[in-house]
Amino acid sequence: MIFKFGIIFGLFLVHNVFADIVDTKQWKSKTPKSKDDLLNIQHRLQELLSESKKALVSIETSDGVGSGVIISEDGLVLTAAHVIGKTGQKINIRLINGKRIPAISLGGSEISDAGMVQITKKGKWPYSSIASMNKSSPGDWCFAIGHPGGFDKDRGVVVRLGRIISKTEDTIQSDSRLLGGDSGGPLFDFDGNVIAIHSRVSKEPDQNFHVPIECYHINWDFYKEKEILTFEKLQTKGFLGVACEKTKLGLQITNIVKGSAADNIGLKKNDILISLDGEILDSREELTILISSKQPDELVSLEYNRNDSQISIKVPLGARPEK
Amino acid sequence: MRIIFFYSVSIFLYLTINGEEDFNSSHSLLPEFRLNGKAVQKVFGKAKNIALDTTVRLLRNEKMIALGGIIHPEGYILTKASSCVGAREAETYDGKKYALKIKRRYEENDLAIYQLISDQNSFPSLNWEMENNVTEGSWVLAAYPSLEEIRIGVKSGNSRKIDREGGVMGVLLVTDRSTFRGVEVSEVVPQAAAFRAGLKEGDIITHADDRRVKNQDMLIKLIGKKDPGDVVKIKLIRENISKDFLVTLGHRSVTFDLFNRNLQMSGPVSKRKDNFSMILQHDLPLPREAMGGPLFNLEGNCIGFNIARVDRVTTYSLPSTLSKKLVDLYLKNITKL
Repeated sequence: MIFKFGIIFGLFLVHNVFADIVDTKQWKSKTPKSKDDLLNIQHRLQELLSESKKALVSIETSDGVGSGVIISEDGLVLTAAHVIGKTGQKINIRLINGKRIPAISLGGSEISDAGMVQITKKGKWPYSSIASMNKSSPGDWCFAIGHPGGFDKDRGVVVRLGRIISKTEDTIQSDSRLLGGDSGGPLFDFDGNVIAIHSRVSKEPDQNFHVPIECYHINWDFYKEKEILTFEKLQTKGFLGVACEKTKLGLQITNIVKGSAADNIGLKKNDILISLDGEILDSREELTILISSKQPDELVSLEYNRNDSQISIKVPLGARPEK
Repeated sequence: MRIIFFYSVSIFLYLTINGEEDFNSSHSLLPEFRLNGKAVQKVFGKAKNIALDTTVRLLRNEKMIALGGIIHPEGYILTKASSCVGAREAETYDGKKYALKIKRRYEENDLAIYQLISDQNSFPSLNWEMENNVTEGSWVLAAYPSLEEIRIGVKSGNSRKIDREGGVMGVLLVTDRSTFRGVEVSEVVPQAAAFRAGLKEGDIITHADDRRVKNQDMLIKLIGKKDPGDVVKIKLIRENISKDFLVTLGHRSVTFDLFNRNLQMSGPVSKRKDNFSMILQHDLPLPREAMGGPLFNLEGNCIGFNIARVDRVTTYSLPSTLSKKLVDLYLKNITKL
């Protein structure tokens, strides 16, 4: 078998020299073309699986059980916001050998459903590396691991293969199927890096949603240091009144809530938001997080682009309208 | 546990949804290229064709109730016994229909052998994988009920024995206060067997199937011997009046599982999904009616028979080594006759 792989790989490389294609790995090609391609995908998955499993944890809170992944030697765990619920909760995490370790919930955000947990016991923990920004895109092969239905030592970690179906700034959709208990577990790419965290599903087998790792990168300090941002909390905080979308140009306004602070100050559809109180805006979640740290009536400085000219204004925030 | 996440909580986010959908559609992977898309299925070439040719649809009153696999050219098929009660007809990949005759049932692992009634002795039959070496993450595939497509996935968890679960009523009993009259119900699990039968908190159970129950242990033992689906006659005292109820027992995993929501999001699952001497777990997205069909490896050899749809991410197969033993024994006796 090993011999066979060698030959295939060799042939593929030669082919690439002629074709001048950058991707050299079969699992990176859009769709497998032959049985050998399939074997390569399988081989790569199995190669990554044993390592990836080691950093997987089961998270036990007073409300239920989810999954998570350790991403640093000192025990920082990425999970989903809805798994931890609130900041500062004492929780147990379980390694794949079943051993329980004390931990504490940090923060996160219900907007993207990202969350963080810190193991409180000193030690050198097995961990997975995370992908950097913008490393994953639709069509990539991926695999989900987790504890669907809860920890089960006999069954072990459950793996599901799939491909990324779509990606937006706050959601990755894949056909790696998920179930309750998987929430908070990692989605890996075929380089063995965490590209997303399992979040939610709906009925169709294709409809599995994950929090992109980009959300963590953009809001790292907020998730780690501050209280979890809940929808409930949002209701009482400052409100700007824009809906926006990440485009190539930046954070572009797609809608303005009538009578809101944004409306009053004259922000318009298609304006590109650049920064808030000097903080460059990388995603709409970041914008919401920044605004929610302010009270209604508080003044913020906003920079935006309209028709290629940059405008700086002071905006008095409003209150969020009742639903 | 909250699994499905609602976006409608704030106006701010609500407004962004339209934009998100547009963004999605322009950047999404076409269904054809997804894991179970046609372009990927096509690559499974020979294995795909074998799966489709050697799998049959079992019908009851024209309705498909299970799949089966052809294990002998004379039209013998192996399937999941509890799924195909009353199956009268089978349909092969070419659309031909045959009358069915039951030959043998193996309750232990929920298997059954049927035969297609026909003069034909050259049905395409499956090849067994002799080595029991399916490693985790290996490709597996099986025919989809239409017999026009396959479903693709991987071996997703450890092979293992699945213990018997026994039936449950779905009641919690008062532990510290055993009355001499019987066993008091402290809580009725919503939507579970006892709830549907009409049992209520505070009821004092005195008899189960006409046998006097004096304490918790007696009741639990009695119920535990029965299987999900069995009917138990419960006599109880409510407000000093003796009443009779018929309780159709439920599955333990469905009744007491913390993850009840998992069943809601999974769709129909197999009734029997416990008590197997060995299973191989995989992640093929197959409906309940696809149980009883064969599971194949990349070579197109049969590595198991799908025996239970457990939930949205889990299907159990009985490994070929186990099913083949029964089949060989059966076929050997046939030849002797």
